[in-house]
Formats: sequence, structure tokens, C-alpha cells
Amino acid sequence: MGSLTPDFRFGNFVASIVWLVLVVLALFTVLILPIIFFSLFYVPLPIVDGQVLTPYLFFSMMVDPSRTLPIVQFFIHTDIFRAAIFPGFAFAALIAAVTIFVERKLLAKMQLRVGPLYAGKVEGIFQLLADGLKLLTKEIIVPSGADKPIFWLAPIMFVSTAAAVVALIPVASGWVVADVDVGLIAAFAILGFFPLIALLFSWASNSKYPFIGGLRALHQLIAFEIPFFLSALPVVILSSSLNLSDIARSQNIFWNIFILPINAFVFFISSLAELERIPFDLPEAESEIVAGWLTETTGMIYGLIQLGSYLKLYALAGLFVILFLGGWYGPQIFPQELIPGAHESNLPLLQMLALDGLYNPITVNSIFWFLVKTIVVIFLMLIIRGINPRIRIDILLHTGWYKLIVLTFINLFVVLMLIYGGIIGPEGVISIR
Amino acid sequence: MSATFNLAGETATQFLPILYLFGFGILAGVPSIVLSRLLMTRRRYNPVKFLPMECGQVPSGEGRSHFMMQYYSYILMFVVFDVMSIFLYAWGVTFFSIPREATLPMIGFLGVMFAAMGYALFLAGRKGIW
Repeated sequence: MGSLTPDFRFGNFVASIVWLVLVVLALFTVLILPIIFFSLFYVPLPIVDGQVLTPYLFFSMMVDPSRTLPIVQFFIHTDIFRAAIFPGFAFAALIAAVTIFVERKLLAKMQLRVGPLYAGKVEGIFQLLADGLKLLTKEIIVPSGADKPIFWLAPIMFVSTAAAVVALIPVASGWVVADVDVGLIAAFAILGFFPLIALLFSWASNSKYPFIGGLRALHQLIAFEIPFFLSALPVVILSSSLNLSDIARSQNIFWNIFILPINAFVFFISSLAELERIPFDLPEAESEIVAGWLTETTGMIYGLIQLGSYLKLYALAGLFVILFLGGWYGPQIFPQELIPGAHESNLPLLQMLALDGLYNPITVNSIFWFLVKTIVVIFLMLIIRGINPRIRIDILLHTGWYKLIVLTFINLFVVLMLIYGGIIGPEGVISIR
Repeated sequence: MSATFNLAGETATQFLPILYLFGFGILAGVPSIVLSRLLMTRRRYNPVKFLPMECGQVPSGEGRSHFMMQYYSYILMFVVFDVMSIFLYAWGVTFFSIPREATLPMIGFLGVMFAAMGYALFLAGRKGIW
């Protein structure tokens, strides 16, 4: 506890926080509430259970628990809920947070350390919260001569772009934020922005190590983008669709990894390179160029970039599951009724868990299997970080151009031969759909 | 398969939820940086603190300088073959709905791509010309 400044007073700190809360509350009352009510005049209000949902009805429904069910049912099928909470931002951020903690503990155990231990008494489970608070209260240092607008904007763009990739990942049939016809191409297109953001940020921070890191990110993109594209091409051939939900639905009998093992391997390697993780973490090689393109990041800027890169990790693991591991298909393990006799009960909470409430055995089962597969893929990525050294940049370029591209084409030709030989395909011996 | 023939506007609306999540990223990012600006400790101005990080040395020269990264050949190849590999998707997605003979031109396309790529990789491996 020797790091507090001499003029630090706890009372002043508390007072500043109280002032902040008061100012926010005042602004909310004076500005935001009137804006909400004015805009409600012009918004067509939704109809729930045969009644127009005015704010007064909303609050009276919230007070009476037995009338909450229709409004909750209405709410979970809106775009806003999907984007903000379930397959969208909050869900992905939760997985990202859990991944950061599990990664630290797992790597520590693999390297005979203990990892985070003190925050939260039990194995340091509140370490992430403590780190978040620490990052929030640390000073953000903008280096002299930096390009200020880009320097402030790049971390926010990084998080937003990572969230935009998450929007394309379906977790169950119909449970996706953006059900786009060309979902796979859209995911590739958005993923192509990340090296650009890294390069912009490194250029903006007016320092040498970040600049080298940004250029390395660019080289990594040019080495691994083409294997990344081409390894998904046979998947598109087999499912005749670019929509990610349709690609997952086409694997309800066979997982693509059984037909395309080499391509799954190449996709996995390329997605590690896309994520800038060990063994491809050249853009942020901490033993060579300080922290690469993250050298000049401090405080919350570093926190946002970290959040964005773990959102990207979830998105790419989800993409791997959708493309190769059969999406959300798995044996039905959830029963028809979660709690027996729930729908006859009068308790509102039990009614919500009943079949006609919020519980749907097929959807819950799909989400469960999707999560299990995604967690397995994330674990594979974490374990690879624990056991591999970093590779040199010329070896990286050589691997990408000379080996991975050839491997993708080998598997493409194997698939073409199997289709024309009448073994797989719609009218083949083994019907894949 | 969802509707194949869409109006241009409908196709554009499909992409709207991506923008929603992009907006949520901004909604999460901007307040956290603003809150951090409000909460963070601010010490007195110190000219050394705002210098670019160079491991404790006083930085010399420009931060943004010319840096020879080498491997231009790969960048030239990327510009060509990235576009070519995207063209393959148009063939892949219609694979089962076009006649079998239509694959032959695609094999020719792949042959051109392979020949060019092989020659480019051969040149990229040569020393003394880059």
C-alpha cells in the first residue's frame, strides 16, 4: 500500500464520486428523460398481448409478476435484445472476461506458477474486476507528437469492429444478431479491418516500437488472409450457401471436419494468426519490441483493446465451430420440461421456466452444444499459447505462402474428386444433407 | 435458404444489426474512456513522461520514419491473389446448381492462378533482385 500519493484523502475521493453520481443523475433528469418522452411521441409503440405498450403499462406489468411473461417474451425477440444481450455484446463480453481469467490461471498452472491468487480469496476470482478498476483509474498518457483523434478513436473502433464480427455468429437456429445472406464473406471483410486499425494506431502514437509492430501486423495479414479465405471454400461448396446459419444447418448429419480435416487445421492456424496469438504474436512480441503496437497504450485504452481482442477470440472460435464442428448440433440432453409440473404452477418464476414460457428444449440444447464446442476450441487456442515459442517473420511468411495455401488446395481437390466420384454430395452414396 | 432474390433495400437492411452491434461497441467504449478521464489521477506536467517509450533512453530521431520491412514480393502477390481467391467463392456457392462441365473453366482459372503463383513464389525466393 505504499503507492498512494501523499496528498491523497479518502474523503475527497468519495466526495468526487458522489459529485459525479449527482451530476449524472441531474443530467439524466433534465436532459435524457425529456428526450425519451419526446421521442416516444414519434415511435410506433409495440403491441403486447393485445394492448399498446405505453410506458405506464410497461411499469404496471413490471410490478405485477404474472403479467411480466408476455412482455419478456416480446422483449427477447427484438433486435435490440439480441444485439445488446444474448447472442450479442453482453454474452460475448462475458465469455471474453471468463476467457481472460481462465487463460491466466491455465497458463500459470502449465508453467508451474499459481497465477492470480489474492483478489476474492478463492483462487483470485475477482482479479478481473480488480484489474478493470485499476485500468479505469489509471492515467491515460498520450505521447507527445501523437495524432490525437486517431489515438483516442482506434481502441473504440477496435472494440466496435470486434463486436461487429460477433454479430454474425449464430448460437442456435434463428438465434443470431445479423442473419446475412453473405455472412461468411462479411465476417472475412470485417476481420480484414483489424490490421488496418493496428497500423493506424501505431502510426498515430509517433513511436518506433509501435510502428514496427503495426507493420508486422500488416505482413501477418498478407501471409494468412489467403489460406484463411481458401480453407473455408470447400465448406461453401458442400453447403451451397454463404449464410452461416445455413452452413451450420447443412452439417446436421456429418460434421465438416470429417471430410475436411486439413482445411480445419489450416483454418485454425490462420485464425491464430488473425488473432495475433502465440506462435503468431509478432505484432506484440513482448521480448523483441517492448509490446509491439500496444507499447504506447495506457489505462483504459489498453483495457479496451484487450476486450476487443478477446471478443475476436470468441468470434473466431465460434466461426470455427460453425464451419467445421457442426454448429449447434448434438444429442438432445435437455428434457421436455425442465421442472416437472411447472406450467400448472401459479408461481410466475416457474411459469417462465415452463414449455410455453421462456424454456424451449431444442434451443437450449443447441446453445448448450454450441457453447461446449466453442469452449473446447478456445481451450485449444489457450493451450497452444502455453507450449509454443514465437516464430520468425520470414518463417511466418514462408509458412503462409508456401505451405498453407498448398494444403488448402489439396483438400479442395480431394473434395472435388469425392463429389465427382459420386461418394458425397446431394446424389452421392453418402448424402451430406 | 432465405430469399435469394431480394430488393436492394432489403439486402441492405440485413446488414443493419451489424451496425447495431458496432454501435454497442461504441456505447461501451466511449463512456469507459470518459469515465476513465474523470476518475484517473492527473499528476503535474513532466516533459519526460510524454516522451515516446524507448526503454528508458531519451528517444532520438523521428517516431515515424522510413522503415524497410522487406518482403515486397509477398505484398505484390497479395494484391493479385486475394482478389482471385474471392472469385472462387462465386463458383463454390453455385457448385451443385451449375452443370458439371462448368467446372472445367474453373480448373483452367485455378491453373492460371497456380502457374502465376508458382512463378511469383519462385521469384520471391530468388536473392539479389529485391
